[in-house]
Amino acid sequence: MNKPQRNPEIVWRVEKRRQAEVLKALEAGEDADNRGTVILIQSGMMHQLNLVGGMIWERCDGQRTLVEIADEMATEFAVERSELEADVHEFVTDLIKRGWLIND
Amino acid sequence: MTETTEMLSAPLTFNWTLSYRCNFACDHCYSRDETCPELPTSDILKIVDVLVEQQVPFVNFGGGEPLIRKDLLEVAAYASGRGLNVSMNTNGWLLDDEAAQQLKDAGFKSVGISIDSFEADKHDAFRNMPGSFDRAVSGLDALQKVGLKSTMSSVISRINYQSYHELLDLARAHGVGQVYLHNFKCSGRGFKNREELDLSPNEWQAFYLEALAVKNRTTDLKISFDDPVISSLPDYQEKTMVKGSSCGKLSLHLRPNGDITPCGFIPVVVGNILHDDFATIWYDSPVLKAMRSKSATGKCSGCSAFDDCQGGCTARAFATTGDFNQPDPHCWK
Ligand code: SF4
Ligand code: SF4
Repeated sequence: MNKPQRNPEIVWRVEKRRQAEVLKALEAGEDADNRGTVILIQSGMMHQLNLVGGMIWERCDGQRTLVEIADEMATEFAVERSELEADVHEFVTDLIKRGWLIND
Repeated sequence: MTETTEMLSAPLTFNWTLSYRCNFACDHCYSRDETCPELPTSDILKIVDVLVEQQVPFVNFGGGEPLIRKDLLEVAAYASGRGLNVSMNTNGWLLDDEAAQQLKDAGFKSVGISIDSFEADKHDAFRNMPGSFDRAVSGLDALQKVGLKSTMSSVISRINYQSYHELLDLARAHGVGQVYLHNFKCSGRGFKNREELDLSPNEWQAFYLEALAVKNRTTDLKISFDDPVISSLPDYQEKTMVKGSSCGKLSLHLRPNGDITPCGFIPVVVGNILHDDFATIWYDSPVLKAMRSKSATGKCSGCSAFDDCQGGCTARAFATTGDFNQPDPHCWK
């Protein structure tokens, strides 16, 4: 798994207003794991990614390695570095399986 | 906040009528008798910028006949260059090999052609245009030749509801990957010619029961319906993005002057894309809000399907009763 890249067939966008709300909720100590901030549209179906998933997704541009993605995420979240890397790895693996990300 | 605006900051699709002008005068047309001032190219390009800014991913040109606008290619090339997924619907009359290549070069992702009957004379009579069937079919071939994805649209009415199998075969024979069997909307000319063209509620039920079974077992062709009233059928398993009509939730319609309506079949203007703040329209329009949170009225109250069906097609209810919340006149329950 080198530099994962979004499947170009998938149309997506960051829902900025929603993202701002979720960030606020997190600051207030609420759980926002199940709240989508990025939508993906594939063959007429809409899917959502939560804040962390969305941030990883945004960075899967085929230019960044998993380590680099985790590095960038580390500046945003106060989470253990190894934990973050494991999360990124797990998420990317899952999305590659679904065909949403392509591994070159 | 409704389910829609909780997540979405803008629709996924804008159905965009650049012009109501058309080289045809079809019996079912919702727009033939409409008139509306058109915008100059510079304003149209400004609208594209607004759509990009609002992150609207899909634009579908309809009409009127989009190929009548001389600047269609310029607009499409600009829109696709800015990352929009551009498609259109045409009657196919002007779609020769050269035009197909130009559409491809302008970045169109797919082009839909309307065909109402597999029999040339019926289609031509319905469209009041001799020769239109042949040109529509050769339009499909032209698209296939240049490698541009084609779709076929058929408005289900009395002239074709018993012969849609043949329409599907026609699609197959001409390289079409997806067929839209549109529900009949009673607005514009379709409203005037309703008695002659529309099916009765029981006929709609029988049609959808069968067509749904065909859809579920067809693998070589994608068959799409856009009728929320089918969600009350027992065989209906599809997971749709929203409940009920998608207009005002996943899609909006643009009139030639930049006015926004919830859909092409609901002539209620909620704002203008060039002059009004988009977020205010999207989040606060009382009309859009009403469409997104309908209340069960008449036979819908107590109907077990209301959760999914939401009273069916809002455009049809509105056209016949003037009230969004009334049951869809096609409903067989
Ligand atoms: S249905 Fe389409 S092709 Fe027919 S008159 Fe209306 S806009 Fe023109
Ligand atoms: S009664 Fe209303 S909610 Fe029930 S199926 Fe008919 S239109 Fe839909």
